[in-house]
Amino acid sequence: MARLPWWMGGILMAGLLLMTFSVFGADRPIGASTYVPYFADIIFDLDPEKYSYLKHIENPGAWEGVMLLGALVGGFITSVFITKSFRFSLVPSGWKKYKNDSVLSRLLWSFFAGFIMIIGARLAGGCTSGHFMSGMSQMAISSMIFGTVVMIALIITGKLFYNTKDK
Amino acid sequence: MDITVKTQGTDLISRLAQMFENVIHQGHGSLALVFLIGIIFGGIIQYTRVDKFEKIAGFAMLKDTIVPKMLFLAVGLTSIGLYFMIEAGYAHYHIKPIIWQGLLVGGALFGISMAIFGKCPGTGPVSIAEGRIDVLVGAIGGLFGGLVFTLYYDDFFKPLMGESLGKLTLPSFFPGHEHVVALIFGVAVTLIAIVIPKIELFDEADLSQLPDDQRPDK
Repeated sequence: MARLPWWMGGILMAGLLLMTFSVFGADRPIGASTYVPYFADIIFDLDPEKYSYLKHIENPGAWEGVMLLGALVGGFITSVFITKSFRFSLVPSGWKKYKNDSVLSRLLWSFFAGFIMIIGARLAGGCTSGHFMSGMSQMAISSMIFGTVVMIALIITGKLFYNTKDK
Repeated sequence: MDITVKTQGTDLISRLAQMFENVIHQGHGSLALVFLIGIIFGGIIQYTRVDKFEKIAGFAMLKDTIVPKMLFLAVGLTSIGLYFMIEAGYAHYHIKPIIWQGLLVGGALFGISMAIFGKCPGTGPVSIAEGRIDVLVGAIGGLFGGLVFTLYYDDFFKPLMGESLGKLTLPSFFPGHEHVVALIFGVAVTLIAIVIPKIELFDEADLSQLPDDQRPDK
């Protein structure tokens, strides 16, 4: 089987979330956006004493930073040995089909989207992992608000940004 | 034998060492466990292929529904298990506060960028691990986003997020019926995952690497 079905993925992800939440595991939720400003502050050499946000994210940033290194290893292993999808590429097939063939266009839009994605996630206090998966699993009202706004913005943008008519 | 690691400096290597040291001491699982959680997280995402542009941007175009089906199933199952784990004392709540402006502005920016990028902060690194250069460029954009957020947090972003209205959960609105609400929520979200029609947008570039009998589109 070169790909896990969605229901198997959902069950496994639920198991991982419960293990991470439990006191026998990490006693915390899974999150995946705090590591980005954390790494940015390391790379751009910002002083933790000078910036309050840096102090604020010190612990979750480090935790997610280590988890992210694991995710890179996990994704690399399965892409090489199981799904055989490891390859260097610049433009996704779906982008070519529904947007354009330009490498420059894809890279510029990626950079721009990556930039506002992190600003958005940090403003809301979480991302797909921290809010949608971990937050909604705790039935948090904040995460339900976030999930609803993201879904609406996602689908409107998908409609306006891509050329999906007669394809 | 004691191994001494210099973790006082402010250079890149020392600060990365401080990251590991921090995780060892913060009491949220051992360093090995946190790393293992990451490996499993990346493995599940990669093996189900939900890190693909065709899955995430495909959902934005309503041409693929694997991502919402898997997300809602994970949430539905976890919410039931987690509620009773917390009741039994085996886990704790980690609720994020209701900050209306932050959630509305942040959620809108996040949804727009997720549709264009076709990734999110959890699936992006997994795509980079399988060789997607465009996602690496997006991640560099993300690092600049993180830098700007840190630099202007006090002056701009914190006021923009607004006041916190507290950390509410759905069951807290139904005092005396918390158990029932948790069960209904979990079952309803799981049903949503099953009821969403399964539509898929395939990527021939990936599928052509697989033997015929392993192709999910056949």
